[in-house]
Order: sequence, then structure tokens, then C-alpha cells
Amino acid sequence: MDTLSIVRGITAGDQRIVARAISIIEEDNDRSYEIIRSIYGMTGHAHIIGITGPPGVGKSTMIGVLSRKLTEMGKKVSILAVDASSPFSGGTILGNRIRMQDTLSRYGIYMRSVSNRGMTGGLSRSTWNIVKVLDAAGSDFIIIETVGAGQSDIDIVYLADTVIVTLAPGLGDSIQAIKSGMMEIGDIFVINKMDREDSFFALKDIMDNVYERNGWMPRVVGTNSLKGEGYDDLIRAIDDHRTFSVAHGGKRRIRYREEVRLALSRIVERHVWKEFGKLLESGEMDSYYDEHLDPNTVATEIFAQNNGLSQGNSVERRVEF
Amino acid sequence: MDSFWKKKLEGFNTERKNEEYERWVASTLAPWNRQTGYRERKYQNSSEITIKEVYTKEDVQDLEKKLGMPGEYPFTRGIYPNMYRGKLWTMRMFSGFGTPEDTNRRLHYLIENGETGLSIAFDMPTLYGYDADNPRSEGEIGKCGVNVSTLRDMETIFKGIDLSKVSTSMTINAPAAILTAMYLAIAKKQGVPFDKVSGTVQADILKEYIAQKEWMYPPEAHIRIIRDMMVYCTKNVPKWNYISISGYHIREAGSSAVQELAFTLADGFYYVDLGIKAGLNVDDFAPRLSFFFNSSINFFEEIAKMRAARRIWATVMKEKYGAKNPRSMMLRFHTQTSGYTLTWQQPLNNIIRTTIEAMAAVLGGTQSLHTNSYDEAWALPSDGAVKVALRTQQIIAEESGIPDVIDPLGGSYYVEWLTDKMEEEAYRYFDRIESMGGILEAIKKGYIQKEIADTSYKRQKRLESGDEIMVGVNKYVEEGEEPINYLKIDKKAEEAQIARLREIKRTRDEAKVKKALEDLRRAMLDDNENLMPYYIRAVESYATVQEISDVGREIFGSWKEPVIV
Amino acid sequence: MEAGKNLSSSRPIKVLLAKPAIDGHDRGIFVLARALRDAGMDVIYAGLLPTPEQVVDIAISEDVDVIGLSLLNGAHMTAFKKVVDLLKERGVEDIAVVGGGIIPDDDKPKLEAIGVTGNYGPGTPLSTIIEHIRKRGEEARKKKEM
Repeated sequence: MDTLSIVRGITAGDQRIVARAISIIEEDNDRSYEIIRSIYGMTGHAHIIGITGPPGVGKSTMIGVLSRKLTEMGKKVSILAVDASSPFSGGTILGNRIRMQDTLSRYGIYMRSVSNRGMTGGLSRSTWNIVKVLDAAGSDFIIIETVGAGQSDIDIVYLADTVIVTLAPGLGDSIQAIKSGMMEIGDIFVINKMDREDSFFALKDIMDNVYERNGWMPRVVGTNSLKGEGYDDLIRAIDDHRTFSVAHGGKRRIRYREEVRLALSRIVERHVWKEFGKLLESGEMDSYYDEHLDPNTVATEIFAQNNGLSQGNSVERRVEF
Repeated sequence: MDSFWKKKLEGFNTERKNEEYERWVASTLAPWNRQTGYRERKYQNSSEITIKEVYTKEDVQDLEKKLGMPGEYPFTRGIYPNMYRGKLWTMRMFSGFGTPEDTNRRLHYLIENGETGLSIAFDMPTLYGYDADNPRSEGEIGKCGVNVSTLRDMETIFKGIDLSKVSTSMTINAPAAILTAMYLAIAKKQGVPFDKVSGTVQADILKEYIAQKEWMYPPEAHIRIIRDMMVYCTKNVPKWNYISISGYHIREAGSSAVQELAFTLADGFYYVDLGIKAGLNVDDFAPRLSFFFNSSINFFEEIAKMRAARRIWATVMKEKYGAKNPRSMMLRFHTQTSGYTLTWQQPLNNIIRTTIEAMAAVLGGTQSLHTNSYDEAWALPSDGAVKVALRTQQIIAEESGIPDVIDPLGGSYYVEWLTDKMEEEAYRYFDRIESMGGILEAIKKGYIQKEIADTSYKRQKRLESGDEIMVGVNKYVEEGEEPINYLKIDKKAEEAQIARLREIKRTRDEAKVKKALEDLRRAMLDDNENLMPYYIRAVESYATVQEISDVGREIFGSWKEPVIV
Repeated sequence: MEAGKNLSSSRPIKVLLAKPAIDGHDRGIFVLARALRDAGMDVIYAGLLPTPEQVVDIAISEDVDVIGLSLLNGAHMTAFKKVVDLLKERGVEDIAVVGGGIIPDDDKPKLEAIGVTGNYGPGTPLSTIIEHIRKRGEEARKKKEM
């Protein structure tokens, strides 16, 4: 499929083409950037909600209910869920759909699962660009579920307009959150599973520990996903935060800066790897082996020679005693 | 509270130093091994417990106290004083297939041949609470059991059978209360008082979430229904065993023996808590709880598992729950040989596997036993294969001399050590589960399921690497063997069931159905209302299994499993 | 990251595993899911009791290369075919369908004829299944890139 058809399909909101476009974005090559370049003008409409929190607190179920409610209000919602890849094989089990599938099918909500491809921070490198596709496809809301490793899911702060930290009562979640710095990233805190006996203590723990940041006092909401309770409050909190963000410029500038920084780092990385490849091919490593030189000295020498450094010969090769 | 398991754990010392063993290894075994060589492999059982070459007196502790005598606390050696000298185990073979008429004929045949313990299996749609005419039921009707969509089907199954004279075991879980209601409705029609009605439903919903995955609602909703059934039957149907706590499916889902032991008993304790919370006296309902275990191929591990199960149950019922009646402390169990260990390759080998597993069950002191047929790896069992399976039990019972002595392996250093070890590992799991907020939380978080999936994947990898052997599968393989498949779909049962269902829907009193379902709905919304009378009225109005189940689906919603992979 | 390798990586083969009927026996599919992950693939498990419609929805939304269907209850002829028909209906030609479970020999050619390949029974080595899925996945990927 040519780029023009893809771009047209995206802007028409064609789910199949959106799906294919996301695959191309995930490949992270020239074609990916061509698509982003072509659709960038049509982005900027969506409100990006990041959902993070420790495993087992019911994030997926919550996203299912939230997206249903937003859809019923006439909003177009897209979901992006990130799972961690295996450090050994690079493969990933993408399991977040299971608990939302019935809702997705019934309401025709688009959801995509992606692997973090070994990145730390709770997102994948491609997440940023995938969001652009979903945005250009006309989403009012893009909900992103981070890996869910808890405290290390920090990148969402830069990407999302509104960050929701989800916790469950008991098991020390709230205490962990307070200790681990999650209090600093949430615009809204959700205590899910409010049917549990200890839920009010959890709610209180969090309420006692939120504080105003940059003019926004984080909201604390209790929900029960089974019964759908508390979601009106949650949606109101999201709406309030959105209004607040629009009025105060929000995170868009921060996000833009981060996006440029990431793009730049990618270019530098590519450049570095390319140079690295060249260096590897250039050196006659075996000849050094016979000289019994230490590896660090050899690397320094290869680097110096190939960069034409004038001091190339001055690398001290051996220390004699 | 949480110190109960920890305190128990302190009582174990299964890894203590055995000086005699160490001396023998250094002075006799090691030189011998060096000289003659030895088979290099990992000696481990399914529970990943490492097994030594030999066990001695020093490996077992407090033997007398932990063993007791048969029929005495803690029942390690068996729950009855005379065990199989009193009565052989019940050789219970599953029936229930095709149309209700087919099953009725089979039941009459069994009764004529002296069977009084009937056992009925249901098909998938019934197990999930779907009617025969639901599109999802297509191709499933009457396949792995009999189909029941309305009371009329149950009436047909039990036509000409006096419910006061038989005891019926029904393998049904999510819709167990509906099927119980149907059974009671038939008893009413026959004029059999409820205190004469006897039988068992499986109704172990926790193991559904763990392993078998057949549920309709979120766990809390099913648990409430089970609670209502417990309370209702404890008061009104005193011979109805409303829960058979099942490890079988947990094991078939790929767990180890220790996991089967621990998760099944943890489920059992949950139901005890449930009964107590519902206001029942522990001694009024605990004697009605029974268990269902798997017997797999590692002979001694299985025997140790069953012995450990009895001891744990007795100890915990007495010490934690304060049971006074010894019957509350007796763990009665049914056993089925493992389906997991059967292979389609060289199928006759399965007879040998089943024999070993059946022997383990008998040596483990089972109360009843189902032996699998050798062709079950690829088909519904044929008559000939079923007969061999039954004969296997009869040979063990009548020829082998195994049942003549109670707990003949009692006192074996290895078996006693392994029993201790399994018990200890089970307590370790109980402690961990409690620290997660209890078994229900552990299931909802997917912890239990993940533990099982991990074990199952590890075993598969061992099989692929050859660290674990299955004869005919990864060793002694015969070339050119192809799986034989006999699984057939008979559309006749499906058509007949749909036709019958339509007929009933056309002729029943709709107003009565509507009212019964509306009453049920209101009762469901009120947690203090016992649902059983409403279920009975609903089935009596010929509301269908799915119509009744749908009331709950609307109120409680459905449930999706946690992600565990 | 392997030294010297270009960052623009080839995306792993993406597989959807599903049991599209009333069949709760999920031991095998969990084992396979892990094995595929350990073979470097991206794996989505559809959860219990998805309808064939849901299976196809997921496959399209996730842009998978292979759908792996497994049933042990004998409903494969109806259920697998429904998935294939729905894919055709929606004009999807670049997703391969692979089957497994308890499938009688007589049914295998019928499934092959509608494009469901593999159809492995219990006891098949994981490596055989993985290789087959990889092969079909690479074919599908080529079609996608056309």
C-alpha cells in the first residue's frame, strides 16, 4: 500500500489501515517517518490519558469501563497497551486485551497492543508515533496503558496530557505508591476495587499524601469496575484536568520538547551504531591478540586511528615496570 | 491468624542433616559410583522435590505422633479403622452422554446390575449455562456428557428411577444450584422427602477459576450462590453433598502434585470459612465436604500427596477451625487416574500407566476410583477400553493383595519423609496465599493460575529436552505412528435437544416463567435472600438453564480471567 | 542490541492464539504462547470463549501475521471455518491461519483446503509447531509488504 492511501485511510479512521500503519510505525524506518510527516498536520486534537499503576490493580478492566462510558458519551476512544518483552528472546506476550475484548467488540473501539521492545520507562520507543496515528485518525481520547511495572513507568508523564495512577486497596499498594514517587506523577489517583473492606483506608492514605503541583490539585477517585461505580466522578476529574490543561498550556510544550529530544537521540544513536559497525569492520583484532595487548588499549587505538586523530600514535600501549 | 501457617511451618525439619547418609555417601556410594559409573540425570518429582538415593530413620521425625492408627486422628493412615477390609473402594465410572434418553437407558442398565451410585457428566453448553439452541452450543450438544436445557431433560434422565433409592453424583459447577434445584424438583414430583434425597454436586467454583475455566459470573457471585446452597441444603437436604473440592482439574491443567495438594486444600478451607461466615456450625457442614484428586504417574509422590492431604485436613480442621466431630476432620476423596499422562502413541502403554496410577490411589487410601481408558487420549472411550479400565481396578482389588493391609507403605522412610515434605510445601503455599489476601485474591490476581502455567511450561521444556521421559513420545519412539482419531460428532442428539426445547418453550406457561425469573432477579439483588427456593420455582416453571443463568449474567455481569502468561 | 546492528529492526512475527468455541482446556495454548514468546515472537492470547467474530476483530486490529486456532472439543470444523470465512468476508488475505488440537485425520485435508494448515495433535514437539508458524508468518508478512 502506498503512503498516500495509508494517510487517507488513517484520516478516514479506517481501522484496518490504522492497524497496518501502526505496524509500519513499529518498524521504525524511513517509511515510518514519512507517514508521521504526512499526518502530523492533522494531529493535536486528541486528549491523551496515561494509565499506570502496579500489576493486579485492575487497569485493563478499568480502561474497559472508562472507554465504554466515554464512547457512550459520543467520544471516539482509542486504546494503546504496552507490554514488556522477554529480556531473553525479545518476544512478548501481549495480554491486555482479554479483559476488555467484550467492550471493544460491542462498541467498535480500536485497541492496539505493543511490546516495549526492551525499553525501560513503561512505553515503547514507537508509542509516541503510534499516538500520532491514533490522533490523526480522529480520536477524542487516546488511552495508554503502561507496562505496569509500577515505579519505573515514568515516561508517561511526558507523553500523556492526564496521568491516572491506579491503585488497589490492601497489599500495601498505597504505601508503596507514596514511597516510590508515584505521587509525583499522577494528575488523578484512582483507588479501584472499592468493594474491598480496606478501601477507605487506602483512599485516605492517598488523600493525605497528594499535594498541589503547578497549580493543579490531584483528584482522588474511588471506583468499582464490576459495578461501574465511581466512573462519573473519574470522567469529571479527567474533564476538569483537561480544562485546566487547556487554560494553562498543559503539557503540550513539554511533550513536544521530549519528542524532539527522542527523535534527536534516535538519529544520534543510529549514527553511533553505524560508526560502530565501521570501526568493527576496520580493526584487525586478531593481530592485537598475538601482541597480547589489553582490550581497552586496542579499542582506544582502533578508535583513534579511524577518526584520524593526530595524537593517534601517542596512545600509550604498554606500561613497563 | 496469619501465624497459624507460619507456626505449622516451624514444626518441619525435612532438610535436616542425616549423618548416617552422609557417611555412607562418602565411604561407600561415592567410590562405587566412581568405579562403576552411574546414570547422570536429575532425580526430581513433579513437585521439583529432589530425591536422594536412599532414606533412613534420621529423615523422618515424630513418626508415631504424625501417623496415628487407621480411623484415628490425624488419619494419615486412612479414615476408616478397617479400610478396604470393611468395604472396597467404589469403582465409579462416569456416564452421561448423548440425549437424556440415552443416559436414562444407561442408568437403568447400571441399576439393574446392582449400581446404586450414579454418576452423571454434562455437556459443555450445560456446564456454561447455555441452552441447546444457543448458536454457541453448535457442535457441542451431548458430546462430552448429557445436555440439560430444562427440567424436562432431567425428568427424562431420571424416568423410572426412584430418587429415594439411589445416590447421584453430578459433575456440574457454575450452574450447580440450578441442577440441584432440578433434582429436588423431581424428588418433589416423586413424593420423595428432601431428607431422603442423597447425592453430590461438584460445585467447586474456585477450581473453575484456577483450572477448568467454566464459569458464568464473577467469583463473588458464584460464591454467594454456593453459600446459599450450603445453607439451604444443610437445613433441608441433609444427605446432599454440595461441594466436591477438586484437585483433579488443577493437576490436569499442568500443576505439580504439591500444587494440586495445596491449592485444593486452600479452596477447601475457603469453603469452610464461607460456611462459618454464613452462620453454620463447622461440624454441621464440614462432614459433607469431600475431595477429588488426580493420581498421576510418579507412584510414591502420589501416595505421599494423598497421605499428606488427610493429615493436613485433619490438623487444620481441628486446630484452626475448632472442629469437634471426627467426621469433620476426615478427608474423604474420589480419585481419577491422570489424563495428562496418556499418550496417543503406542496406546496400549496407557493401560500400564493407568494401572500404576490406580495402585497409587489405592495405596493412598482413596474412597472411590475412576480409571481412564487407554484410548482416551484421542477419543471418547470405546466399550472395550472402558472394560479394561474397570478390570484393572478389579484385579488390584481381588488379585494383588494390595488392599489386604491398611496403609502398607506406612513407616517407609522414603514415603514418610516425602509425606512430610509435601505437607511442608503445602503449608508454605498456604502461608503465601494468605499473605496475598487469601485464595480468592490469589486467584483474581492470577497468581495460582500462573504458578500452574509455569510448572506446565517447565515440564513441557523438560520433555522437549529429554530431561523427562515419556515412553513412545520422546524415547522408544516408533516411526511412522500417526494419531488415530475417532472423535465423532453426532448431530442427532443436537437436533433432538433443540426440538424438545422448542416444544417446551411453546407449551409452558409463560406468565409463570416470567414471574419466577422476576422473583429470582429480586432475590439476587438482596444478598440476605437465599436463592435456592427461587431456583426451584424457576426450574419448576420450565424456565431454561440459560434463562435462569441469564438473570445472574445481567445482575452480576460476566468475568474475564486475569492475564497470566 | 547486537553490536553494529541497525536500529530499525525487523518486527517480530505477531501471532494471535485463540480457542474460538466453548472449550476451557487452556493448558496447551498457554504452553504454546510461552514457547512462541521464547522463540522471539509477539503473542496475543484471545482469552477464553472468544467468538469467531472477535477473533477476526482482534487479528485485524492487531495486524497479526498468524492466527493460531486450537480446539480439543471437536468443534474445529465449524469454528475454524467460521474464522476463515469471516476473514474472507472482510477481504483479509495476508493473515495465515494455523490449526491444532484433537483433529481427526479425515478432517485435516478439509481444513487444508480452506487454508488452515498445521493441524497438529497433542504430543507434537513445540519446535515443529513454532517452525510452521514462523514459516506461515513470514509468508503472510511478505504479502503485507507487497
